Amino acid sequence: MKSNNDIMIKMSQVDICFYIQENGFISFKDFLLNIGKYKFLQKKFVLRDINIEIKKGESIALLGKNGSGKSTLLRAMSGIIEPEKGKIEVNGIIAPLLGLGVGLEYEMSGIENIQLSCALMGLSKAETRKLMPEIIEFSELDEAIHWPVKRYSTGMMSRLAFSIAIMKQPEILLIDEVLSVGDIGFQQKCLRKVEEIKNNGATIVFVSHNFKEVQKMCTKGALVNNGSIEFYGDINEAGARYDQLFNN
Amino acid sequence: MQKNNYLVRLTFDKGFRNAVLSLAIKTIKLRYKNSLLGVFWSMLNPILFLIILIIVFSNFTSIDNYALYALSGLVFWNFLSSSILQVLTSFIDNSSILKSINLHPFSFPLSATLAALINLLLTLIPFFVIMFFLGYQLNFSLLFLIPMLIVTSVFILGFGMLLGTLNVFFRDIQLLWNTIIPAFFYFTPIAYTADMLPESSRGLLKLNPFYYFIESFHAIFHQSKIPQMDDFLMCCGLALVSFVLGYWVFRKYRKGFISNI
Repeated sequence: MKSNNDIMIKMSQVDICFYIQENGFISFKDFLLNIGKYKFLQKKFVLRDINIEIKKGESIALLGKNGSGKSTLLRAMSGIIEPEKGKIEVNGIIAPLLGLGVGLEYEMSGIENIQLSCALMGLSKAETRKLMPEIIEFSELDEAIHWPVKRYSTGMMSRLAFSIAIMKQPEILLIDEVLSVGDIGFQQKCLRKVEEIKNNGATIVFVSHNFKEVQKMCTKGALVNNGSIEFYGDINEAGARYDQLFNN
Repeated sequence: MQKNNYLVRLTFDKGFRNAVLSLAIKTIKLRYKNSLLGVFWSMLNPILFLIILIIVFSNFTSIDNYALYALSGLVFWNFLSSSILQVLTSFIDNSSILKSINLHPFSFPLSATLAALINLLLTLIPFFVIMFFLGYQLNFSLLFLIPMLIVTSVFILGFGMLLGTLNVFFRDIQLLWNTIIPAFFYFTPIAYTADMLPESSRGLLKLNPFYYFIESFHAIFHQSKIPQMDDFLMCCGLALVSFVLGYWVFRKYRKGFISNI
């Protein structure tokens, strides 16, 4: 068992399905009439037979076309989607940055939103209190932190959301195209923060269409195509294969 | 084996409890933010109905203290109908959280129920003031309100979860609910009493699950008695059945939530 300790995420033979209710809700009557005759939900495979091992301290870029299943893969790693088949093992505190600003309430102040978001991410009240000054400072929102969020600009909102999401000191950070927030100054600050977390030994899985950004940060790349991982290895090679997808 | 302990594990999970509580408090806060009358808004609707009912019906009925009877029925009718709607829509209301935060989806109906219960307790403050006005006298049967509220909440949670799960796949459920519930208002003895009806149609009333809850609350507040045991047992039974059924349907179809919300 000891030798497995440095593996942070391990997926073996994982299938992930969507359950589509194909009849559409116009045919509720049909549904009632046909109860038992047809399956209520149709299974649709999104990812098939995914095998991947991510070690401690690695940073992986997930590349692939829109709709290829990258976000679904991240959701599976973070436990939001349960796999249909196979096993997903995760060792460590995981922070999924899948959608910024999720759970922000427009009528409440920045502070209240920090408390709410932290609670939703599973932090206790005491932990939230401890992180609060750090979050406020990182967001650079100053006195705006007491305003209701509905008066924030989009950039300010992203600052708040990112600051909340990043402060948890995660061992595994899952990032889904959320780094392009705020003005350039704040974007770079975010990237530096991610870098800092990485240098502290955290594992990072990164989805981004900005290959240059990814290349700087990641050592390995995984190419997701047609519901499976077609290539997993050196970042530059993964990038080249990714480009090929569009040249054909 | 582990699967059976699932609910139990969640209840003892500190992070889960904190998240549910925070969601419920958020709902309450949002409801009363930017409103001067605050919690009194929840009372306004029953009072308005009460006035209408008194004007229309009080001459026809022989029950003493009709106002108290109608008011207690209205308050708890509003609690039942509005909180089931909130639980029903809780998955859809929280779709963005459901998709990107690793929080168990059971927390949404649970926090909606909790919020509805907190809201009711806040409403009960002005409610009691009015009740004393109408001649209510404090008595021990009021203690029975506690088990009644627990049983009613379980019913709301289960029934709301059942409809809420279906609502993820067929959004017409919530439209249907909004259409049906005003009809059920007249099918429940709130404006009238059950014994005003002819014997033959009284049995029909008992097909209505809300009947047992409203009658039990009537007993506590209007007759100052503990509810009739068969009414109360029926409430317990309904709560148990709806929770088991609701939770079962939720567990079975929750895998389809992310792809259908």
